[in-house]
Amino acid sequence: MTAAADGYGRDLDPLSPLTREQFTRLDRAGRFDAPGAGGVRIVSGEAGREALGTRVRFELRVDGERVLEARFQAYGCPHTLAVANWLAGEFAGRRRDALLPGAPADWAVRFEVPVPKLGRLLVVEDALRACLANWPGPVQ
Amino acid sequence: MPAAAAALTMAGRAHVDERPVYLDNAATTAVDPRVAAAMAECLTEEGVYGNPSSSTHRYGREAAQCVEAARHEVAALIGAAPDCIVFTSGATEASNLALLGTARANADRRRHLVSARTEHRATLDPLRQLEREGFTTSWVETDGAGRVTPAALRAALRPDTLLVSLMHVNNETGAVQDIAAFGALCREAGVLFHCDLAQAVGKLPTTGAAAWVDFGSFTAHKIHGPKGIGALYVSPAARPWLRPVTFGGGQERGLRSGTLPTHQIAGFGRACALAAAEGAADAERMAALRAALWEALRQLPGVLLNGPAEGGSPAILNLSFEGVEGESLVTALTDVAVSTGSACSSASGEPSYVLRALGRDTGLAQSSLRFSLGRYTSRRDIERAADAVCRAVTRLRSVAP
Repeated sequence: MTAAADGYGRDLDPLSPLTREQFTRLDRAGRFDAPGAGGVRIVSGEAGREALGTRVRFELRVDGERVLEARFQAYGCPHTLAVANWLAGEFAGRRRDALLPGAPADWAVRFEVPVPKLGRLLVVEDALRACLANWPGPVQ
Repeated sequence: MPAAAAALTMAGRAHVDERPVYLDNAATTAVDPRVAAAMAECLTEEGVYGNPSSSTHRYGREAAQCVEAARHEVAALIGAAPDCIVFTSGATEASNLALLGTARANADRRRHLVSARTEHRATLDPLRQLEREGFTTSWVETDGAGRVTPAALRAALRPDTLLVSLMHVNNETGAVQDIAAFGALCREAGVLFHCDLAQAVGKLPTTGAAAWVDFGSFTAHKIHGPKGIGALYVSPAARPWLRPVTFGGGQERGLRSGTLPTHQIAGFGRACALAAAEGAADAERMAALRAALWEALRQLPGVLLNGPAEGGSPAILNLSFEGVEGESLVTALTDVAVSTGSACSSASGEPSYVLRALGRDTGLAQSSLRFSLGRYTSRRDIERAADAVCRAVTRLRSVAP
């Protein structure tokens, strides 16, 4: 089936191509079985409630101050799952003090998330902030 | 890509070269080729393209004959006399005419209406408009399966009740109401009874409907006819209580002005004739397929049936899937076309008000899918749909926390 547009040239697919692609892949979904060797550890954080429509959990496999790999689990709409999947793929190599690639407003633009759904991206951000809270920084 | 995650992707799914299975026949149906042929005969220069109101020439009279032949076929499907049928643009307009036309014509006498919150918006929205105009509505509670009991209806009636509006078959759950009992109650109380028959015709025996209701709304596109044409049945007893809501030409005995669309009406007539001739066999086949789909999907854990376990429409199966968000579920179902009760898919932005009214919580209303079958649904379609739903539900549950 081909893409369709309305009389104003707007795409009738409610999901952007990037959202649909990430939702179809969900290749970062899941949990880590074990932290790995040496000083590698797993930090996690979650936010939201299923009863409210969105619940997100991230796991980061970290070595000191740096993320080695990330996974997520989510209950929510396609935008929530797509953004979480994309974010989990963005974290590798990032340091604790620069973990988030932009803010929810930036993700909303990137994924063409409709305004009524912006709150769901805040739940995603909350889950990441919970991760950071569980990932102590270096002793000062 | 991690191996575990790779197993979650939809890559490698079967049937990618086929069109999605269509299980949204309660929304609309494909036009039967026999209906399309009847319509085509009314469109081109060689056909019956005249204006049915132009009685001064042969073209108009031929078109009028075509319209009246169709009117007989439409009327026969609900056991009505042909002159009790008013053609409209669909069931929504028919319900608007019945509700607004009756209420406004009798506003100085009675201002109380009765309905249920599980009705279609084609009923709810005109009732809300009438409330803004000073009418009051009593909302009858339904049982857990979505049915109004005659006792509940009787309790809602008042001396100033003008009209009751209750549907025959619920469009979301397939719950079937006892409209014969409702009709008898209303008649006994001297109250008019409007019934939305849109999901009943062609699926249930409806040749008795005209004997039970004062006003009946139905439409062609739910029974493999064209979109844009429907009818309001107006009983002879109710006719004096009804006034038009549109003006400009006086067609349809003054109740619905506007040039009659001959090709749409011819198609509607043919669709009704086919429903009368083949509806019982279609319904029996759909009931067996619906049972097969339910049997396949109930093997999944956490699947809840919305609507009656028995005695419902043979064409509608509504299920909620615990632990799955509805919009994601319907998005993952690239191989199956169905409706969902998810908020994101509704015009109102709220999860299904019908399922909420039946006591389902927001989450379960969000996670509901309505599978609706039609004349062309095959066993292969059901097998493909069951397989796709099982895979999608399992996948989405596996990514949930």
